[in-house]
Amino acid sequence: MSKSDSKRQAILENAYRLFRAQGFDGTSMAHITSEVGGSKATLYSHFPSKEELFVECMMAALENYMSGTLQHLDASRTDLRLALLNFGSSVLNFVCSPEQLEVRRLIIAEAARSGTGKLFFDKISTLRAHVSAFLSACMASGTLRADDSNLAADHLGALLEAEILEPLLLHVRDVSPEAEEIALAVKRAVAAFLRAYAPAGRQRRPNVWRVPPPVEKESHSGGDQVCVGT
Amino acid sequence: MKTKTEAKRLAILKGAADVFREVGFERASMSEIRARIGGSKATLYNYFPSKEKLFFEVMYHAKERELASITHTLNPDADDLKEELLHFGQRLLAALYSPEAIAIRRLAIAESRHSNIGKIVFEGATLPIEKQVAEFLRKGMKGGALRTADPKIAAMQLLSLLESELLQRVLLGVVSSVKPEALNSAARRAVETFLSGYGRR
Repeated sequence: MSKSDSKRQAILENAYRLFRAQGFDGTSMAHITSEVGGSKATLYSHFPSKEELFVECMMAALENYMSGTLQHLDASRTDLRLALLNFGSSVLNFVCSPEQLEVRRLIIAEAARSGTGKLFFDKISTLRAHVSAFLSACMASGTLRADDSNLAADHLGALLEAEILEPLLLHVRDVSPEAEEIALAVKRAVAAFLRAYAPAGRQRRPNVWRVPPPVEKESHSGGDQVCVGT
Repeated sequence: MKTKTEAKRLAILKGAADVFREVGFERASMSEIRARIGGSKATLYNYFPSKEKLFFEVMYHAKERELASITHTLNPDADDLKEELLHFGQRLLAALYSPEAIAIRRLAIAESRHSNIGKIVFEGATLPIEKQVAEFLRKGMKGGALRTADPKIAAMQLLSLLESELLQRVLLGVVSSVKPEALNSAARRAVETFLSGYGRR
């Protein structure tokens, strides 16, 4: 890591801590400078405004998470149900963590001001685009019925969050759910999604979702690649 | 400090409601509200410690009543379950995505750690809606229009689907208002997805 990179990292870490503890308004660039050390000019050379710094440090965790969670969709391509279960658990574990709940509250609190909400939304849209591309491939292969894949991605996301998120976000519930509770919510969400997006004529057999192997790999010869389960 | 009176409290609420309606939550200030009702800033703060608390007091109770009236229109004996859900979904979204309701929601989330606003919204709005919808779906399952499942879970899924296309956009301020046609078509797509999952075939 270059000297400049490590400085940037130190700024992000300190700013993240201060924003979370004191909120956006309660945190000043001067305070961040005094925590990091160095001059205010250096701080501004890395981040031209408090808004940009806020977005950057709130997004850092999401960036790391996204690259990890999207692998679930790619890694389990042979079994759609399994891919969605793994992906769903990963999403809920992330969004229900106390840290991410606090980040989300901060982001929503600040969203109406200074256009930061739009920057976050763009980031979230990138994640949705990945999910949508995955679902679109499933629709093309006939594993899911053909529909707007962006809409399907929105519906999948909503079903995953349906049981758990709101009481946590509103602080009605303080303790984040255990793995078992998340697994159960994900199972129900994925079941509802697969029923709703089942190809015509196959709604009654919800356990047979198979995704064809990725196109770049050698395909199986013969047989029904789409439906090989029981 | 003078004793608080109900008349003064109501006068403040009325003045604040006017200001919030005219300029919106973000742009409204305690100074402007004080100017509207007269009296000192100290008096105003004595009744309501922050703009947020005042806004919530002014706007929330009306919204809660509006939401309750929408949920109560769900008729389990209606001939067409899809039409009934569609109508409900469209009215619900229209109420939830009014500028005041969005501001209340954002406030409830933002302030939930420091106040009981989140709890008030959850218990006064979220839970009763969920309960009414679950009751409606339970009857639909019993009558055979829907497949048998846990009606409470089904209700949460339906409500979440209804908001799936719009919630993030609105909470993050990407759009400040949603056109009625957009609300209606989002509701229709959500109800259709819900019924493909829960309808009898």
